[in-house]
Amino acid sequence: MATQIVMDRTGDTRHNFDAKNADALLKAEERFRELTGAGFTAAVRTASGEAVVKRTFDPNAEETLFFPRLVGG
Amino acid sequence: MFRQLLRNAKERLRLLLAQRGRRVRVWRDRLRRQPDRIDPSLRFVPDFRYVYGEREARGLELLKEWLSPEQFAQYDAKSYFDVTGCQSGKRYRISHGTSMNIHELDGAGRPCVGWCFAPKGYLVAGDVMLAQKIALETDERGALGVANKFFVPTGRRNMLLH
Repeated sequence: MATQIVMDRTGDTRHNFDAKNADALLKAEERFRELTGAGFTAAVRTASGEAVVKRTFDPNAEETLFFPRLVGG
Repeated sequence: MFRQLLRNAKERLRLLLAQRGRRVRVWRDRLRRQPDRIDPSLRFVPDFRYVYGEREARGLELLKEWLSPEQFAQYDAKSYFDVTGCQSGKRYRISHGTSMNIHELDGAGRPCVGWCFAPKGYLVAGDVMLAQKIALETDERGALGVANKFFVPTGRRNMLLH
């Protein structure tokens, strides 16, 4: 089961989906495009635990984290 | 002789204050992280306490999942963790908080410059710190490009942060 985690005011919202299901994968890809299009940054963790930013949808990612656009404080 | 004694006493006092300052900071940050610690004015809003605490806890849980073992241990002990900028190799210290919580460290590990940037919108501290960590580790220049710089005082306050 793969997960897309979206940071929001509730802490985070998690979207779980079966990466082997074509429909679910399509929906996840659509969500990825919507979020990154809205300015969110998508990041995944490598096997060594290092964070990597993804510009395109990775169907093999077990966990993708989305955080909103950065602004100066 | 008297001057030497005075100098020694001053140095001891300085070290003592620095040590106490560090302890106070750790305790303050621990208290801030407690979900029960809420704005008293909101005490009577139904379910606020539960929702607030849950959000904070979820944010911290997510942060801890993404920290490296070293960062996790450091954050657990001191309420801050260090990250290395992917482009410059500089070290930054991210303290628990949502704003003005990033300090660039000099060669000796002392905070020299403050940077302030965060994800847009209202997010809990854990989420903000995680976004700051990922940004510095994957796109340091982009993050600092939007950040505001702030002055870190030298002297005693700087020493306390160190």
